[in-house]
Amino acid sequence: MKIFNLIFAFVFISFSAFSQSNGAFETAIKSQIQAMEQIDSPESAQEVSNSFLRIFEAESGEWLPLYYAALTKIETAFRFDVDKDAYFDEAIDLVQKAKEISPNNSELTALHGYALMGKVSVDPVSRGQNLSPQVMQLYGTAIGQDRSNPRAVVLMAQMELGMAEFFGQGPEKACGMARMAEELFRKESQKVDENYLLPTWGANTAKALIENCQ
Amino acid sequence: MNLRLTLFCYLFLLQGLAFGQTILSGRILDEKGIPLPGVNVLLKGSYDGTTSGVEGEFEFSTKKSGMQVLVFRLMGFKTLEIPVAVEGESLQIPDQELRESITDISGVTISAGAMEASDEKKSVVLRPLDIVTTPSAVGDIVGALQTLPGTSAVGNDGRLFVRGGDASEVGIYIDGLRVANAYGTTAGNVPTRTRFNPNLFKGTFFSTGGYSAEYGQALSSALALNTKDLSIRNQGDLSLMSVGGGYSHTLANEEQSITLTGNYFDLSPYQGLVKQDFDFERAPFGWDLEVAAQKKLGKDGLLKVLGRTESGGMKIRQPEPGQEGAGPLIDLRNQYSYAQSNWSKISPKGWTWFLGASISANSDEIAFDTIQTTRDNQLAHLKASTIRDFSDRVSMKLGVEHFFNTYAEGLPLQGLERSFQDGQTYLYTEWDWYLSKKLVVRGGLRGGLSSLSEEKWLDPRVSFAYQVSENGQVSLAAGKFSQAPLENYRVLNNDLKNTQADHLILNYFWNKDGITFRAEAFHKEYDELIRFEGVPMAPVNLRNEGSGFARGFDLFFRDRQTLKNTDYWVTYSFVDSKRSFEQFTTQVQPGFAPKHNLSVVVKHFVTGLKSQLGASLAVNDGYAYTNPNLPGEMNSKTPGFQNLSLSWSYLPRPNLIIHGAITNVLGRENIFGYDFSTTPNAQGVYESRAIGQPAPRFLFLGIFLTLSKDKNANQLNNL
Repeated sequence: MKIFNLIFAFVFISFSAFSQSNGAFETAIKSQIQAMEQIDSPESAQEVSNSFLRIFEAESGEWLPLYYAALTKIETAFRFDVDKDAYFDEAIDLVQKAKEISPNNSELTALHGYALMGKVSVDPVSRGQNLSPQVMQLYGTAIGQDRSNPRAVVLMAQMELGMAEFFGQGPEKACGMARMAEELFRKESQKVDENYLLPTWGANTAKALIENCQ
Repeated sequence: MNLRLTLFCYLFLLQGLAFGQTILSGRILDEKGIPLPGVNVLLKGSYDGTTSGVEGEFEFSTKKSGMQVLVFRLMGFKTLEIPVAVEGESLQIPDQELRESITDISGVTISAGAMEASDEKKSVVLRPLDIVTTPSAVGDIVGALQTLPGTSAVGNDGRLFVRGGDASEVGIYIDGLRVANAYGTTAGNVPTRTRFNPNLFKGTFFSTGGYSAEYGQALSSALALNTKDLSIRNQGDLSLMSVGGGYSHTLANEEQSITLTGNYFDLSPYQGLVKQDFDFERAPFGWDLEVAAQKKLGKDGLLKVLGRTESGGMKIRQPEPGQEGAGPLIDLRNQYSYAQSNWSKISPKGWTWFLGASISANSDEIAFDTIQTTRDNQLAHLKASTIRDFSDRVSMKLGVEHFFNTYAEGLPLQGLERSFQDGQTYLYTEWDWYLSKKLVVRGGLRGGLSSLSEEKWLDPRVSFAYQVSENGQVSLAAGKFSQAPLENYRVLNNDLKNTQADHLILNYFWNKDGITFRAEAFHKEYDELIRFEGVPMAPVNLRNEGSGFARGFDLFFRDRQTLKNTDYWVTYSFVDSKRSFEQFTTQVQPGFAPKHNLSVVVKHFVTGLKSQLGASLAVNDGYAYTNPNLPGEMNSKTPGFQNLSLSWSYLPRPNLIIHGAITNVLGRENIFGYDFSTTPNAQGVYESRAIGQPAPRFLFLGIFLTLSKDKNANQLNNL
């Protein structure tokens, strides 16, 4: 009986230690998602992406820390005056690593496209021809992997709009996709509670695109 | 009681988890002792860690204790892991140093002699798109390269001439495998073009000297074309041009892709509309079929297959100097096939493997009036190579190659034929040492032997690059280069040895934000060149006796930043070259090596017109030739060459391009030399006939339509 209790105690301890560590994962991710919103310089972005990567070091079976680290890199490259190519390349490396953990993940495929779209934006004239079709294909694949992923749809809408503008065509197709994305964002928002860790960003882009359509 | 014990155990152990918080602190520096901010500092297996600050300082707390591993990570540096004994309230870590890791992007690259057309790399001079949008090139790869430093435009030839070398001195490779007869066969001063379409290739590496030990059999220059990887979607490409048309169809999935292409061209309708100065009895015509396939093998392996077959010809009358009438008829027919396959694999452990085989087969039937001639040659190339990265600072390339070459020429009506076969085996190795991120040394050796000439040789090559400022670098290259003599000479004398050249090149390269400046000085020493008596059509007493030199410098400036939607580059090349070769008894300036060469290319995108407008200008100071009415050899010079070309690409819809180009807009009557009569006339004068252009201008109009589910696809790369 004593032994039983001891075993029980150890099981309980290790269980609580485990759940504690899992809770720590969620808490850590959540606090860094919040920290993402406070980013105001490349330095603070580096701190956030480093934190995500530290979480990944401890939880090497999780794709989310890599996802958020890559997203932070991409957004830093778009927002600040940094060596954009290096940031986008780093983001692509992180996404590739995450894809090995979680293959056929729509969020990762869409993020890959987003990083590649960043590379196009660095030198659209020479890279657009070669990379734009790859970006479109990634967005298409992402939508195929999960039809309810609003980010895949809104990113594709953005790309469509850019190309329609370049070729002097109407924005109807892009606008339609943006509205579709908005609807998906609305559905997604119903699932989100304080324990929700999966990506939720992009609704503002959809809104901005739709405003542009009117 | 038992429960109490249990609870006690539980609480005690739980508390134990919270015991002993330790604060770790320290400083992280680079190799020079400069603080590194932004380093990810962490304790392995925990969430504990921080990011280093502006002074490289870090401080964080952990509840872990005992022997732990402290990890430092920063992009561009090697990860550092050190063991630490975590105990007590605070732990001061001694200063730590991170070593920079050298990558393709961060490390200095050897730019002496080298010019790259790619989207990605740093030392890029040209982008793949430029090849198809340079007006004077009209879609020919070599036409675009002729706007780069170190080259000369030889308008009646069309091939690539580099730094005082003749066209045979440029070795052309596709995916590392040699291509023989890469240019279309031509006759009668009608300029030729590269057989291969630019849309096959993703990148081009063009060296004007001092090139890698991976390549050989070229005294002046190596041109390496790299084919595209997997296509990403199914599509059809239709082209309709003023000179012909074609269709290309691509099938693709994630694992493999295949593109089938067929083209037909015939200049007859065009020549019916636009008067020609040359007397074509049958305008140039031809067809080609091409297949390109790619397949992923395993995770990092790629298999590629490229095959092409084509046939064409023309008939032209060439008046002879000092004689009445239209002159003898030259009737040319050509058949050409090229096939290659290669497999490459990049293993994550630092090895890259390559296996490849190619075969080129060319057959010409040329009739000069009543004299029928034939010419057949085949070249097979087998190659195996590996690259080993021992670390980010040392890498080695090692390869073995075998070439099998046959050549035959004959007079079928007389039943005469002569031929030779040659087997050549090569072994090469090349080592790159990064002494620091700013200094790299490359040493290479290429050894070869030929079964025909029974000759063995060893060509050493060495180069350095040093980064002198944030955006500038200096590089130096030297080496020995060997090339077997032309096949039509070797067939007459099987014992001819290799011709040789020594290169010395000093290069300065500066690149920042879309502005590129490149200056290069070179000295090239030729030896063992082929000399003979008689005329090039019927040489006698062939021997390795010629020698010479080429020296000079070239300048290149490109700016795609300063003017909005505008990209331009300016090239000036100075070549001082003299050599004793062929029938020349003294050292003379070759007819293909003008001294002063200037080229300007400007492209401007007009958003409102959805159009790209282009202009290119090429100027040189004229070609040397021998006037038999004057004493000496190469005693005269033609008037300078000038060619201003314009182009307009219009993109009305994403999948449609309309492209128009006109070369030599000003209609300048360029002269490339003179033919002289073989005997003087009654007044004792050798009569002459200028070698000019087929027509003052060439007009090109093409419509390119892409059919695909993705309506934004277009053929801009196919122009």
